[in-house]
Amino acid sequence: MFFLYFDPGLGAMIAQAAIAAVAAVALFSKTVMYKIKSMLGLHKDEEQDSYDNIDLEDNDKDNDKNNTSK
Amino acid sequence: MTKTTRASNSHGASFRDPSGYIIQEADEIKRVINPIYFPQYNKLTSSGFFDKVIKAGLLIPHQEIENTDEKIIIRPEVIPFITHPYEWSFEMYKHAALHTLKLHRFALANGFILKDASAYNITFHKGKPIFIDTLSFDFYEDDTPWRAFKQFITHFFGPLLLAKYHGVDMLKMMQTHIDGIPVKTIASLLPYRTKFNSILYTNIHLLAKLEDRYSEDYKAESKIAKLSKKAQNNIIESLYDYIKKLKVNEKTEWGDYYNKTNYNDVSFQQKASLIKEWTNALKAKTVIDVGGNDGTIGREIIDTADLILVSDIDANAVDFNYHQIQKNKESNILPFVCDVLQPAPAIGFSNTERSSLIQRLQEFQPDVTMALALIHHITLSGNVPFLKSAEFFARFSENLILEFPTREDSWVQSLLIRKREFINHFDFYNEENFESGYSHYFDIVKKEPIKASERILYVLKRK
Repeated sequence: MFFLYFDPGLGAMIAQAAIAAVAAVALFSKTVMYKIKSMLGLHKDEEQDSYDNIDLEDNDKDNDKNNTSK
Repeated sequence: MTKTTRASNSHGASFRDPSGYIIQEADEIKRVINPIYFPQYNKLTSSGFFDKVIKAGLLIPHQEIENTDEKIIIRPEVIPFITHPYEWSFEMYKHAALHTLKLHRFALANGFILKDASAYNITFHKGKPIFIDTLSFDFYEDDTPWRAFKQFITHFFGPLLLAKYHGVDMLKMMQTHIDGIPVKTIASLLPYRTKFNSILYTNIHLLAKLEDRYSEDYKAESKIAKLSKKAQNNIIESLYDYIKKLKVNEKTEWGDYYNKTNYNDVSFQQKASLIKEWTNALKAKTVIDVGGNDGTIGREIIDTADLILVSDIDANAVDFNYHQIQKNKESNILPFVCDVLQPAPAIGFSNTERSSLIQRLQEFQPDVTMALALIHHITLSGNVPFLKSAEFFARFSENLILEFPTREDSWVQSLLIRKREFINHFDFYNEENFESGYSHYFDIVKKEPIKASERILYVLKRK
């Protein structure tokens, strides 16, 4: 069951199709640009922001803290 | 049975989501889960999802302490001091947004979603953003768009964009808009040229347009569009990329914050060692440094204190402090933006959803409050009499370390000169009047002039 306790906004639900299409193009061109740049050796490390990558690293091995969610 | 009972001690911020509520007991927070949320909770636990996001530092750890047919109770790790979105610096705000997207993306990959994207679901703990609403997850239903998308825009993306184009002060708009800044407002405030940026056009301007068009669908008749999981992922990733690169347009000068103040090395060393000595003597584990700039003085006691709150009116100094915390991987400094002349008020329904800074400080009960080279700003720029500022500090401070710049100090001189013809109205600004004003609320325990400066350091104890 989907329990919706706040109004997500119908416009926002519909807009997401267009937003996703544009996002796909943006992400695709980012990949292409990345490839071109690294082929030409133009790639610079531009990790300026200190927040991690979007991917979740699997750090299961280190510290088995007492995360008791059972 | 889906009875929603609420204890009278349930927290004022916890009533919107029928999945459960929070109760506050002394130093403990407990989260009661209603049967309506049992399927989600059980799946999130048994699939190992909770374990993974907790281990990755995305979600606050919790412990299950009761499990019956009527309710499940979990006890989340205690966060000693909660900061609210309107108290964050730009980089903090940005990281909170990225944190939310990262968590939602991981949930999506595991068959769940974040059902809401409220900025209040994030706070800062041990030097990093952390998601604190354990019940914000729900099952992903195939091909449904992200229901919290608009909330993400109004709570995170919009405020960040406004800060980018109009300065970091825009983040304070969250104080008057508890459910985020309306999309229409964001769209109208953004410069015209943002319409030519595909990401900004679609996420803000088009969104505002469509929201407007469908706002009169009172019977909810229009069909909800479908959106594949891949498409939803694209939205999240492109927003993540965009936000990660966001910078403020206004000039920010990081570094050298401390050098701008009135200190030579000798004075600074003496001040720092006095503060170390005194906080040690007071066995200070929890400290707030009001007007603590970039945390330079706070870091002097980083090895002995458990938690040091460092507030400042200058969002850039707070940003720089946060930046250093990331760089040095510090876990016991918590920076936030605060104008002492106007601390964050209590807001929301019944004025109890988000508590005021004073309320939070009274609960936090810092062992020591530091107010270093702040009193002349409060007194001379803010026109607050000594008695009034003493009353303010006494509301939450047991021990107060206060630095008093005398009339001869060059900063004080400059503040006085700027009063022009009213300069005589401030003749009361001197050591004697300071002491008599503060003695209404505090006893003077120690008093030490700082070498090679026109400043005096006091230790005051609340009466």
